[in-house]
Amino acid sequence: MRAYRGARFYPVDSAPIDEGVMLVEDGKIVGIGRDIEVPANAEVIDLAGKVVIPGLVDAHSHVGMWGDGEGDASRDGNERPGPITAEVDAIDSVNPHHVSFQSCREGGVTSVMIHPGSGNAVGGLCFAAKTRGEVVDDMVLKAPTGLKGALGENPKRGGEGKDSPKTRMGTAALIRDFFARAEEYGRKKERGKDPDPDLALENGLRVLRGEIPFRVHAHRSDDIATAVRLCEELGIAFNVEHCTDGYMIAPFLAEKNVVAHVGPGLSSRGKVEVANRDERNAALLAEAGVKVCLVTDHPFLDVRYFMAYGGVAQKHGLSFSDTLRALTLSPAESIGVEDRVGSLAPGKDADFLVLAGEPFSYKSPVLSTYIEGVEVYSRIDRRGG
Amino acid sequence: MLAIRNALIHTGTGETISGGSILMRDGRILDVGGGLDIPSEADILDAAGAYLTPGLVEAHGHVGLADEGVGWEGDDVNERVDPVTPHVSALDGINPRDRGFEDFLAGGITSVQIKPGSANVLGGSTVAAKTGMQATADRMIINPNTGMKAALGENPKRAHGAEHNRAPYTRMGSAAIMRDWLFRAREYLKKREQKDPKVGYDAKLEALLPVVRGEVPLRIHCHRADDMLTAIRIAEELDVLYTLEHATAGFKIAGYLAARGVRCAVGPSMSREAKVELEGVGFETAAAFEKHGVPYCLTTDHPVVRAMYLHMIAGKASAAGVGDEGALASVTLRAAEHVGIADRVGSLETGKDADMVIWNGDPLDGRSTPRAVIIDGEIVHRGR
Repeated sequence: MRAYRGARFYPVDSAPIDEGVMLVEDGKIVGIGRDIEVPANAEVIDLAGKVVIPGLVDAHSHVGMWGDGEGDASRDGNERPGPITAEVDAIDSVNPHHVSFQSCREGGVTSVMIHPGSGNAVGGLCFAAKTRGEVVDDMVLKAPTGLKGALGENPKRGGEGKDSPKTRMGTAALIRDFFARAEEYGRKKERGKDPDPDLALENGLRVLRGEIPFRVHAHRSDDIATAVRLCEELGIAFNVEHCTDGYMIAPFLAEKNVVAHVGPGLSSRGKVEVANRDERNAALLAEAGVKVCLVTDHPFLDVRYFMAYGGVAQKHGLSFSDTLRALTLSPAESIGVEDRVGSLAPGKDADFLVLAGEPFSYKSPVLSTYIEGVEVYSRIDRRGG
Repeated sequence: MLAIRNALIHTGTGETISGGSILMRDGRILDVGGGLDIPSEADILDAAGAYLTPGLVEAHGHVGLADEGVGWEGDDVNERVDPVTPHVSALDGINPRDRGFEDFLAGGITSVQIKPGSANVLGGSTVAAKTGMQATADRMIINPNTGMKAALGENPKRAHGAEHNRAPYTRMGSAAIMRDWLFRAREYLKKREQKDPKVGYDAKLEALLPVVRGEVPLRIHCHRADDMLTAIRIAEELDVLYTLEHATAGFKIAGYLAARGVRCAVGPSMSREAKVELEGVGFETAAAFEKHGVPYCLTTDHPVVRAMYLHMIAGKASAAGVGDEGALASVTLRAAEHVGIADRVGSLETGKDADMVIWNGDPLDGRSTPRAVIIDGEIVHRGR
């Protein structure tokens, strides 16, 4: 057993603890508080003057899948061509030895949900993983965690040939058609008709049965509204990825209980559909009552700068506690892994960060990152000091 | 006349004045210091102890050329028909109404060097401009020709090369094109001076004359250490002025660069590693350059990283080992020196342009924001 003692702890789901103690055993938190008794056999780690927060949880990432100086040879995010590639599974594209996982540990991100890209109207299965390990299957936190969908510019851009989608309404129609076919496929199976196996429709069925949500890429406010319209029509669970123009229709999204994965942060207005990007988005959504998760969309925001994104969201009006929650517990809940990660509480995985000082200051870099009680990054050991 | 008093002044030259004042008139700084007498006719702005810094300088950006959120219609960064387009000038592509300029003011940046992109080996003239929006780009200009954009590495190969069936296909191909055109420009200069009747006007060679005359530097895009060394090799061979732009892998050859005093604009350090040549991007190079004494500045390459984060990037560099003083210098005076406009901007000194920022917190903290941005003695932007 180890006792991390003396730091200020931000458990996220309870009040901050000054000069607290956190007990860790077998990779789990077994106690946290101010007046916790440290067992005699515990190894004590003195963290006086430091700050401890939960490991960050990034609900929209492509780590291990593309980017990071590897070029076309390792671009494995979008299975093209074809607007419907519901049969693919992100786990089959992820390389645990990719440098981006090291970046996660350096940036304090201990859990990620990895999505296929947004090039296709239906893009494939998402899954959640810890950011440490040699074999991706051993890193899995939960799989699958959703089916990726996409509206707006990206699916149109993929269809350079003769095929749909050529328009936004074309993309919506393809998604409707896909789920209609999945429904029919399910009916046939129920009636014992034994249809030809179809992996794509099987995954569509998982969404229709409520096993996993549809996670829909949408930037522009009309695309976001289309996502809501489609999913309500189909009666499926969903959330909105990016939600860039969300602030324009924040009360509508609050009324619909939409969970917004806002990001990538610190990003340019590079596409027409993100022309109205506004740094206040996360704050305005939260103010309206929308549940906000900040996301990196790595590599679009390098995961090493996830905390810096939190600082910027705060600068534009998101409260300190909402920001911390949007980087930890809210994404854990959105992914469906809040029983394991996202806050510092007994019974949860010992995934935590030791910071040099108060979160979000440039003077408070991540000193150590722990996953299940194991230190997986140390600033002191880093090349160049 | 405008006076700001009761400020925590970072002059940009390494000096910090607590409770300081600064006096400006007709767009210039009259005086800066601790116990200044403020003339009765001056308008007085009380900073209430807030940080006051020089207006930041972005040494490498594409604002105005890459109209944001517009698509191809607003994209005027690269004239990609030919790897050699020295005859184009960024000045002719700048849209002074690009929303990107708002990002600069929101980040406390008052001067920027605007460059054509890096698709071409010789890409066109660069300019230095103020960031306060004016009716025409010409009115924003500090210097209409601060250098000649050049590029090595992946980009020229990708924009031309195998896919387009024209040179350069390789790194050595790009180097040969650069060398060839500089030799030709040198020859052209000689013959023009001799008034050789057989040599007529050539727009491309004409545009390279300021380079071969030693009046302006080549601004050479290079990320990988070997590309940086190729840039130095060619520039030394041809005896032309040069700066290195990006210098991503600079930490690998920091000693070599320091020994030659090579000016480097480092960044964008927070960008995604989208290309192979960006392997290792981060803050290691800034830290190594600070340690070895390489004359460097930090850049966002806006819009690759939005300019409003330049001050936060400086904070990140500080935490990575650069230190607060070096970090601030790398986005003010050293950036101005990189661009060649340090006689006008980059520090708060008597006689310089009255470009400055009052911040609502530590300027190196990403959560801070400008309370007021002043260009040429006028408040052009107010924040919270």
